[in-house]
Amino acid sequence: MIEFLAASIRIATPILLAALGGILSERAGVFAVGLEGMMLVGAFGATIGTWASDSAYAGLVLALVGGAAMGLVVSVVAVRFRADNMVTGLAANIVALGLTSYLMRIIASSGAPIAIHNTLLPVLPIPGLVDIPEIGPLLFAHPPLTYLTLILCIALTFLLNRTQIGLTLRATGENPEVVYASGLNPLLVRMLAVIACGAVAGLGGAVLSMQQVGTFTDSMTSGRGYLALAALIVGRWTPWGAAAACLVFGAAEAFELRLQGFGVPVSSYVVQMVPYLIGLAVLAGLGRNSRMPAAIGLPLHRDR
Amino acid sequence: MSDPSRAVAAAFPARLLAFSGRRQGLGVNIALALALSIVCAAILIALAGRSPLAGFLAILDGAFGSAHQIGAALNRSTPYLLSGVGVAICLRAGIINLGAEGQIALGGAGAAAAALAIPNAPPVVAIVVALAAGALAGAAWSGVAAAIHLGRRVHEVLVTILLNFIALLLVQQLLAGWLGQVGAGFLQSPLMPRGAWLPKMPDFDAHIGILIAVVAALGAWFLIWRTPFGFGLRVAGASRLAAAYAGFSRSQLTWGAMALAGALAGLAGGVEVLGIHRRLIEGFSLGFGFKAVTVALLGATEPLAIIPAALFIGFLETGSLAMQRQIGVPTALVTVIEGLTMIFVLVAMAARRK
Repeated sequence: MIEFLAASIRIATPILLAALGGILSERAGVFAVGLEGMMLVGAFGATIGTWASDSAYAGLVLALVGGAAMGLVVSVVAVRFRADNMVTGLAANIVALGLTSYLMRIIASSGAPIAIHNTLLPVLPIPGLVDIPEIGPLLFAHPPLTYLTLILCIALTFLLNRTQIGLTLRATGENPEVVYASGLNPLLVRMLAVIACGAVAGLGGAVLSMQQVGTFTDSMTSGRGYLALAALIVGRWTPWGAAAACLVFGAAEAFELRLQGFGVPVSSYVVQMVPYLIGLAVLAGLGRNSRMPAAIGLPLHRDR
Repeated sequence: MSDPSRAVAAAFPARLLAFSGRRQGLGVNIALALALSIVCAAILIALAGRSPLAGFLAILDGAFGSAHQIGAALNRSTPYLLSGVGVAICLRAGIINLGAEGQIALGGAGAAAAALAIPNAPPVVAIVVALAAGALAGAAWSGVAAAIHLGRRVHEVLVTILLNFIALLLVQQLLAGWLGQVGAGFLQSPLMPRGAWLPKMPDFDAHIGILIAVVAALGAWFLIWRTPFGFGLRVAGASRLAAAYAGFSRSQLTWGAMALAGALAGLAGGVEVLGIHRRLIEGFSLGFGFKAVTVALLGATEPLAIIPAALFIGFLETGSLAMQRQIGVPTALVTVIEGLTMIFVLVAMAARRK
């Protein structure tokens, strides 16, 4: 049971980080369809940074920078040029997919993707707490980025609800005119929010490549960015709500892995559908009750 | 009905024109966007330590070097054109249908299942039945998306993306189950009966799918520009309020556009299965759905302009295989070009709207 729950947390972590980034973007009024690409570039940056410098810190920095760069592209096209948020996000995902697999291949200059095997980030048991029976090994024996995810979850909740910055961010997503009236530039707020979204989602990609796989493979995020998008909506644009949704997705996938392990005669393809079906069912269940930020996706004009 | 529509058309001419793709200058902007992404590609080739000129020459050679290659490029363009036209019909009405990926996969499965179910049918009948089944399967899947979107007011982008993942797994499940070939080692169906194979055009390796696709694009042009339904789509895309005022039913327009897009995507899947692989293979259409959005945008959602857009992407991809073979530049470059082109076209379209 502990093992199962630990697996759920492990699977949920990268999705949750992306969802936290997405919350920043969507609360400021920009649809976060580009999460998948931001994660992918983050995973790539983390792998290359760690490999090139032999330092996990360089990997983390490159993941943050790579994700933020994708955020910058999305913010310029979707916010500054007011292109459709959704299609912009999709285009950014395609660029990320092509660019990462292209760069993986030209680094080796043999035409084949370069073989990189980084050591995974070590598990950091928290002294004392890890010895608590049952709960200890489940909650207090994780690699560092998992703790960071929890901290970010708390920090983002605080930022959104208890600070001036959070208020401005939410106002930009609900009613940008108000932000103008208060003397701030909602255009800039949105762009910064999307760039920050990219950095956090890039960190989510880094979790995949630094804590779970140890290398980069083509399109290794395989739809997690889209799941994160569903999770943040199911969680009603709140960090804890998104965390709960991600844990449910994680549990569904962990359950599938266990079924396979026990040789239960349920088709793995059907079981793999479960996270997507849950996402769809919850979205449909929420239906018109899920109130999204009022000005989400609406273009802003500079001269108003 | 016609009177208020005309009034609306008079009231919103500028908005309508902005979405028409006919507006002067948009073509120039899109050409600029294309040029810009090709410059980026040149930089990336140089980054790989190769000559961009040699790279582009290799692409041209690989795309146009022989009748065989031209045929291959036409075949590659075919599903993009079919599904791209469907995506464009939706975009016209302001519906962002990102579900072509799943609709194409299920269309392929539907066509394969139908062709295998009637092994002794005469050729023309087998092809027509199989393609119809493919279109039906695609339309059924986009119908699911439309139902959830309209019935529960979930954003269509989320619904279609989540349904894509489910559709791909569904096809894998079919191939692992009753549609699969036992003992094949990987997920594929048995070979189609010969009568269901799409015939090839004389002197070319291209199958007749490209002709079907061009006819579909012409049909979509007629639908959008010459029918009341198409007018409704354009009005809804320009202004939902105007469409509602003019008495166009939003749910009817959405059902219609989604069903057409699903049918076209399903047809694309069917053509790919019957024309190229002659069996259903796992992942036969991986990434096609996003190419559909690329060509729809590159063609500015104008069906006639999507024909050259789809050909461009098809020839580019075919040529890039030669580029990888001859000078070792990875074909992933094409994906970058596609994504960048989309981004620049978005900016170009947005810049026109100012």
